[in-house]
Amino acid sequence: MAKFAALFGFGAILLALPHALSFSQQEILVFLTINVLLVASYRLLTLTGEWSLGHVVIMGVGAYASALLSKRLGIYVPVAMLLGAVTAAMIALALSFPLFRMKGFYFLIGSFAAGEIIRLLWKRFRDPFGGPKGLKKIDPMPDFDIGIYAFDFFEPVSYYYFALAVVGVSLWVMWRIERSPVGLTFHAVHWQDRLAEASGVNVRAYRTLAFVLASGFAGLSGALLAHYIGTINPNSFDVEQMVFVLTWTIVGGTATFYGPILGCVVLTVLNEIVLREAGFEQMRPLIYGLILILSVLFMPKGLESLVRGAFSGRNARKNKAGETKAME
Amino acid sequence: MSPPVLEIDDLTMRFGGLTAIDRLSFKVERGAIHGLIGPNGAGKTTTFNVVSGFYKPTGGEVRLRGETISGLRMYEVARRGVVRTFQHSTLFAELTVLENVLIGTHMSFPPNIFAAMAGVDKANRRAARARAEEALDFFGLAGLADELAGDLPHGHQRALGMAVALAARPDVVLLDEPFTGMNPEETRRMMELMVKLRDTGVTILLVEHDMHAIMGLCDRITCMSFGRLLAEGNPQEIRHHPDVIEAYLGGARHVA
Amino acid sequence: MVELLAQTGLNALYAASYTALVAVGLVLIFGVMGVINFAHGELFMLGAYAIVAVYADWNLPYLVAVAVGMAFVGTVGLGMERAFFRPLRDNPLGGLVASIGFLMILQALVSMGFGVRMEHVPPVTQEVIVITERVRLPVFRLAVILAAVVLLAGLWAFLKKTRFGWALRASAQDPEAAALQGISINQTARIAMFIGAALAGVAGALTAPLISVNPHMGHSVIVTAFIVIIVGGIGSLEGAVIVAVAYAFVHTFVTTFFDGVIADIVGLLLLLIVLIVKPTGLFGSTDRA
Ligand SMILES: Nc1ncnc2c1ncn2[C@@H]1O[C@H](COP(=O)(O)OP(=O)(O)O)[C@@H](O)[C@H]1O
Ligand SMILES: [Mg+2]
Repeated sequence: MAKFAALFGFGAILLALPHALSFSQQEILVFLTINVLLVASYRLLTLTGEWSLGHVVIMGVGAYASALLSKRLGIYVPVAMLLGAVTAAMIALALSFPLFRMKGFYFLIGSFAAGEIIRLLWKRFRDPFGGPKGLKKIDPMPDFDIGIYAFDFFEPVSYYYFALAVVGVSLWVMWRIERSPVGLTFHAVHWQDRLAEASGVNVRAYRTLAFVLASGFAGLSGALLAHYIGTINPNSFDVEQMVFVLTWTIVGGTATFYGPILGCVVLTVLNEIVLREAGFEQMRPLIYGLILILSVLFMPKGLESLVRGAFSGRNARKNKAGETKAME
Repeated sequence: MSPPVLEIDDLTMRFGGLTAIDRLSFKVERGAIHGLIGPNGAGKTTTFNVVSGFYKPTGGEVRLRGETISGLRMYEVARRGVVRTFQHSTLFAELTVLENVLIGTHMSFPPNIFAAMAGVDKANRRAARARAEEALDFFGLAGLADELAGDLPHGHQRALGMAVALAARPDVVLLDEPFTGMNPEETRRMMELMVKLRDTGVTILLVEHDMHAIMGLCDRITCMSFGRLLAEGNPQEIRHHPDVIEAYLGGARHVA
Repeated sequence: MVELLAQTGLNALYAASYTALVAVGLVLIFGVMGVINFAHGELFMLGAYAIVAVYADWNLPYLVAVAVGMAFVGTVGLGMERAFFRPLRDNPLGGLVASIGFLMILQALVSMGFGVRMEHVPPVTQEVIVITERVRLPVFRLAVILAAVVLLAGLWAFLKKTRFGWALRASAQDPEAAALQGISINQTARIAMFIGAALAGVAGALTAPLISVNPHMGHSVIVTAFIVIIVGGIGSLEGAVIVAVAYAFVHTFVTTFFDGVIADIVGLLLLLIVLIVKPTGLFGSTDRA
């Protein structure tokens, strides 16, 4: 009961939040909401132990697909968003065949290379991807009215509520998956793939499943982004964005569902309040780079899983799961 | 005599220049406790690795109920009813004892992601849990269900490894040195459980250094040395086999 | 047609020379420290900016600028070794991620110091060797090629003939055994990192007058270097040099006859194929991962 009340109160705060913010802060809130989905999907990917450097590009696949489907084929935007997510998942499924023959940093380099290929294809093919300049004038969400609230997507607040609903449902689904026997099997594949396989688990299939699901949600976050900002290009999904995702994830720690989300929220708030107010906004990449290095050096719990996933045997000693709330 | 459940036929496994298994053949009868012994480095673990599908053999084959299983992936072998444990305590150290055994029930109660999301897999989850608790009970681990597997003392970890394997209800179970790290009392209890298990129809292929346990448990014993078959017979025959005594440098005292 | 081929071949030779310098440095670092330096392209970029500062802005002689760039970038490499590669020695993936963070820092610092616009470096010499009417080799390109050959030969001699070189190779084969022989792991790591970084820096310094210098130029360099070291067999210096030359030819010819983006895609596909078929690369035998 108390849990229900807490949840209700938290929901009320999330709904009231934009009204306490300025217009530009409301816009940042929309980006933050989208990034929460992105980083949560990244954690889903890392559940089976592989860390990808192509996740942001997969997000871009969802963005491009949804933008093109609505622009070229006139598909209703929310449907296009879902199809964008499906496209990202399908591309991930195709990529899983080469990539899951690799492990550890071969997988990292392989995922990086695969992502670069996709970005080069966007650059190379002006039709339909728009080349280096990307896609412009992407259809916005069409306004609609649900009786108690009229969505006017010219307003960030409306888009925030829409994104909040989409992200909320996505997080709930991811949470249910992790809490299910499927999620337990993901963990098993991560910590001891040999024993899992000896117990009849098709390890490769489960790795692929996590990769495809995570990519679907990443694609959805990309679609949300595309129809909000209205313009995307290959550089919207470059290494710099990947560094942000890595930093949020590592700072937050991957042991818990909320760790990376917390990392994303805390760093974004710090960035917007401290950096922007102090006029250091253009130092963001510098600060993120520093935070990334420092958290790898001094908060290795978040990274611990990464190391062990790839180098099981070398660092075979265990740490306790659940100890890894790096943000305390 | 019933047909053999497992046949190792002319099996060879080479790593580069090293021949770890050299044209090894033996048969395991259904419902038997079959011992596989030999000095360190004889190739026992490697034999397990080939039978369980972790390695593809260089030559020869492994048959389960007449069907060739060598070359299959490990999970495919497991799904045909052959489940193994590992020599060094290999567990999901970061998961709880109960969760470890739940993974063991994976084949009997395969998770379904759509059912899980819709919340209609309750019956499946309950059955898996019941099976897991039963396995823990059998090995006397029920009181430790919520401990992290990595925190257990060594003897309990070995028992948990067997519980994970047996939660899968295998036809054949391969146990690699299950008694190391157990005190004599624990070993004695485990031996009783092995016999109980055999009586339920499970075939057990056992690698073990504790000769007392091997001689007391096994219906039949295969002894290998340098990858080759050295001798085969019942415990009495093996105990007095000159080649076996020779292979174990300590002589008769050591073997008995 | 023959002339076009000849000209493209000369261009490829030039591309091969700096690619080899970058890739060999990356391999050296990987061989000795077991870590992939994702910021290697930014070390190249730093070398180019050393030319912008010392040669273009301060008007010092070009060769002085190259030497300064080499020493400076090598020193940055030493700093990286001390700051994160050493503490993360048992955590190679952590080292890789830290170097990604460092890449951002270098890009940001250079952007703040020089601005994000392209820098143009005045040419060192405009002279051109005219071989035939349509086959020309700018003298400066020839100089870059020769410099690369000299540097690689010097590195080879260092590795084969000196005590330090022997120590480096020993610790690349087997760090534990080398440590037992009384070779300090820290010392070999420092040497490898200094040389590896300096090679990237000198490559950037040598090419700066011929390319547009900007804070993000490291990206395509690191992509190329990854292709070369993975295909060449990560950890194999000879493999890196051979593949650098071969890849430069493939890339230059595909660029000439199709376009640059297609050439990049071909390279990345090559990398993926090698990772799938033989993760240890064409010339690699030991698998350190
Ligand atoms: N993956 C491998 N690569 C190379 N050699 C191996 C490998 N696995 C086992 N061996 C070698 O095969 C031989 C048999 O080992 P093993 O089967 O572990 O012996 P046992 O279990 O009987 O003590 C040993 O010499 C061992 O070093
Ligand atoms: Mg063994």
